[in-house]
Amino acid sequence: MPTLDIEKIKKEVIDSQLWRSVFRGGVWKDTPRDRAGHIIGNVWLHLHPVKVRPRALEWLYTWGMGGISFALYLILTLTGVALMFYYRPTIGLAYRDIKDLEFAVTLGMFLRNAHRWAAQAMVVAVIAHMVRVFLTGAYKKPREFNWGIGVLLLTLTLFLSFTGYLLPWDQLAIWAVTVGTNMAGATPVLGNEGPLGSLVGMRINNDVRFTLLGGTMVGENTLLRFYVMHCVAVPLVVGILLILHFWRIRKDSFSAAPYVANEEKVDVWPHLVKREYIAAAATVLFIMVWSILQNAPLEAIANPNVTTNPSKAPWYFVGLQELLVYFDPWIAGVVMPGLIIVGLIAIPYIDTNPKGVGYYAWKERPFANTLFMLGVVMWFALIYIGYALRGPNYAWYWPWESWFMVKPAPPPTWSVFGPKGEGAYSMLIGIPLMGAVTAAWMLLPKLIQKELDGKKTMGAFLGALAVVAGIGMAMGKMGPIEGAFLLFFTGASFYYGFVLPQRHIRTLDWPRYLVTMVLVVSTMSVLLKMCARLAFNIKYVLTIPSISMNF
Amino acid sequence: MSYRKAFIVSNALVLAAFVWAFAKDFYAPWRPYQAKYYQMAADELDKQAAAEKDEKKSADLKVAAKKMRRSPMEIKQIISVDLGRFDRCVTCHVGMDEYTNTTLKNNFTEHPYKAHPKVDTALIKAHPFNKFGCTSCHSGQGLATTVEAAHGWVKHWEKPMLKGVTIQGSCVKCHDNFETLKGAEVAAQGKKLFNKHGCQGCHAINGKGGVVSVELGDIADKPFERIAGYNFKKVRIDGKELPNEHHDSHWNLQNWIRAHIVNDPAVVTPNDPFAHYNSEPIPPSGMPDFTKEIGKDEAEAIVAYLSGLTKEEIIPYRYHVTAPPAKEPQLSGAANGKRVYEKYGCQGCHGLEAKQGRRRFNAAGDGQKEYDEKMPEAEQLEQMNLGAEPTLPKLVGTYTKDELIHKIEAGVPAADAKKWSPKGPMPMVYMPAWKGKISKQELEDLATWLISIGVKDDSGF
Repeated sequence: MPTLDIEKIKKEVIDSQLWRSVFRGGVWKDTPRDRAGHIIGNVWLHLHPVKVRPRALEWLYTWGMGGISFALYLILTLTGVALMFYYRPTIGLAYRDIKDLEFAVTLGMFLRNAHRWAAQAMVVAVIAHMVRVFLTGAYKKPREFNWGIGVLLLTLTLFLSFTGYLLPWDQLAIWAVTVGTNMAGATPVLGNEGPLGSLVGMRINNDVRFTLLGGTMVGENTLLRFYVMHCVAVPLVVGILLILHFWRIRKDSFSAAPYVANEEKVDVWPHLVKREYIAAAATVLFIMVWSILQNAPLEAIANPNVTTNPSKAPWYFVGLQELLVYFDPWIAGVVMPGLIIVGLIAIPYIDTNPKGVGYYAWKERPFANTLFMLGVVMWFALIYIGYALRGPNYAWYWPWESWFMVKPAPPPTWSVFGPKGEGAYSMLIGIPLMGAVTAAWMLLPKLIQKELDGKKTMGAFLGALAVVAGIGMAMGKMGPIEGAFLLFFTGASFYYGFVLPQRHIRTLDWPRYLVTMVLVVSTMSVLLKMCARLAFNIKYVLTIPSISMNF
Repeated sequence: MSYRKAFIVSNALVLAAFVWAFAKDFYAPWRPYQAKYYQMAADELDKQAAAEKDEKKSADLKVAAKKMRRSPMEIKQIISVDLGRFDRCVTCHVGMDEYTNTTLKNNFTEHPYKAHPKVDTALIKAHPFNKFGCTSCHSGQGLATTVEAAHGWVKHWEKPMLKGVTIQGSCVKCHDNFETLKGAEVAAQGKKLFNKHGCQGCHAINGKGGVVSVELGDIADKPFERIAGYNFKKVRIDGKELPNEHHDSHWNLQNWIRAHIVNDPAVVTPNDPFAHYNSEPIPPSGMPDFTKEIGKDEAEAIVAYLSGLTKEEIIPYRYHVTAPPAKEPQLSGAANGKRVYEKYGCQGCHGLEAKQGRRRFNAAGDGQKEYDEKMPEAEQLEQMNLGAEPTLPKLVGTYTKDELIHKIEAGVPAADAKKWSPKGPMPMVYMPAWKGKISKQELEDLATWLISIGVKDDSGF
């Protein structure tokens, strides 16, 4: 009986003309040359270098989030293409097609769930990737440009998710998109409701919102527009930027940490590839199990005549929607997100601290890490408030309160400075006063050249605040809760917005210093305005209605 | 764990998850029902084959049984092109699928296996399933293939299956002649009751009727979002709260309408007449309390009738059955006046046969205590509830006939109302101007009748 010689069969298969025509290279001998050939000779793998530094392989260093984001992007592409076979983007058919997917198409429900959940997971993964890159200082020279591309990719990820939100054409979709796109109408100059918009001839039927919607309200054209953007236009741009992103990682090397003497690189095949595979497989598994156990939401068919109460934007934009409580739409919906994007891109160019590249360095980068993490925490805290604590009429409902309980109408709001503010000449006092306070806040940290004692400064400030709160309470203008709000929010703004910059960035050159301070002060203004509105019912601190400028 | 092991395990798990997903999809909830139906139907055929004496027929039956047993599992649907319906109900209710069960009859008694009852009646013959589908009459979610979703017992499906006699509302959708239609008796009774108690005095239907409250011509399409944001919490049926579940089948429009008839509507929609936070107090529902006049079954009839008032569903005009306008009885004088009183729904506010005016929240009137700011809120509410529309026999004695006709023609604007509590809300209900709506002769007769029932003022003034 002839024995089965596997090695011989393997050799014959590999040496056959068929095999040779498909795969380049000869028999696998697991030599460094073979491994290099595996990367170079493969169109999919050759965006990798042949060798990487061993520290780029550590899970605790990378969290694998970049790779997982890309894996989710691939899952989304595959499930998305599959869904396109069943979906027609017209208002007469879209909702029914989703019902068909749920109830009649083989694996239709599973595909839709996977697409929906992978999209949500990708938003989270991309943000986590950004946080990791920030904390390890991996955006610093020479990676500034790639960080900028990453920020654009994050923005596009949100936009992809947002355009997809409309496609089921249910009440959830139409009202979330209505909330989201209404903010575009408040764009300064380009939106019909934004400041200066009407001055340059913006109307509801020619402004930027109209361009986005293809109409004056969410309708048939919007659905088609969002469909094309979601399935073709945006993925194309994301694809181009992804190639750039990967290419720059390859060129700038996988880890930013300073070289160690005699550091030896390891082969990408198999060391990096196997890790990427496991991360991708775990991601696929996670999305699959999630999709089996939990169905994607689908509400009643879209009805432009019936507004849901509350109407909420997609969860990742609910933080901005929550800002609408505190600011006018052009600030909350346009200026704030614009500042976030521009500010993120600017970070590598204003952060001159050479330390903390390629490792977690809380002590060496106290200012950068603290302020960045404060922003991230605020972003998610606002999302939590908007998503979980806002009920019908956007009133505040604690998690243990039923939304069927009718909340009393909120107390009337007032403005501090402005025509309807306190006192006849309050605008004349308010504008210079606001300007002076802002200018002092912007400039003082740098102008005070000696480092202030943090504890003493904070103590003095909190003491003064406590006196103010005490007087307020004695006059009956506020209670202990309002006093606590005042102390917490104003104290936090003073610490993060004044004490920390004074200690850490007063030595920066003026341009970098000013850009940083603009970002810091706008972040703190959110905290201060939250305090003003939640505790004292102040609608505007300063309002100049003639040019729709309200702060 | 080494990466080699992780590789194998993760691949195995992904494969397992895929098998799980596919299995979950394959063993869909409808499958066991369909399988069991085929099995039961085949058993039945086999039984017939065994009982059959004729060998050829017996063999045929056996073949049919075999074929039935081997029927492929599939989603079945009836596409009603004209009515825009895609009803997959027959996926489980196979006995009602005329391709599987050509006679549309069987001996099964349990849902979903049993055949549609009364298939021999003219009613069903006039509405073949393949043309009308299922949901045209029954409502529910035709596209769905799970028990809860298909019957519409889920959140976000606002037209669940119509229960009991309320299905007669579906006749009203197309049959303008439903009042004389066999099989639509309850809906017809509902319309009669609607007019008998004067609902039309305030609620117009398709433009006919009063303007005091909402038009009901499309009440069956009322979105739940407009029911105080899905809030059925205050609805009481048989004195009980509805089950505390959003998606429960009890949270439906039928119960919302019913709650306005079997409860005091002011309990269903209390609003805030004391308005602690808003500058304007909001009165409770202005609808009077009909609980003493309308019983449970009568309420059901009214609900059935109103359930058919839809504009959302697109029904081609050729599906409509028109009816000649109802003939009005030829009466004259006071007898005609009484008919006119009922025709225009005056009894909706002034009471059956004008005997007792109904509630007019916070209107000043007889039998109330003097308003006192310090009165506790509960007592104030009680007093506001005592506000009423005029009881006509007491009033008409002070009018001449011409004055009375003029009063009815001019109406009493809402703004002229006298409030009991000056801080309370304006009374919601008012007397609309009837000029041009009631003909001269009708007005004459109405005034004649009203004066005839008036309490004579014998005091000498």
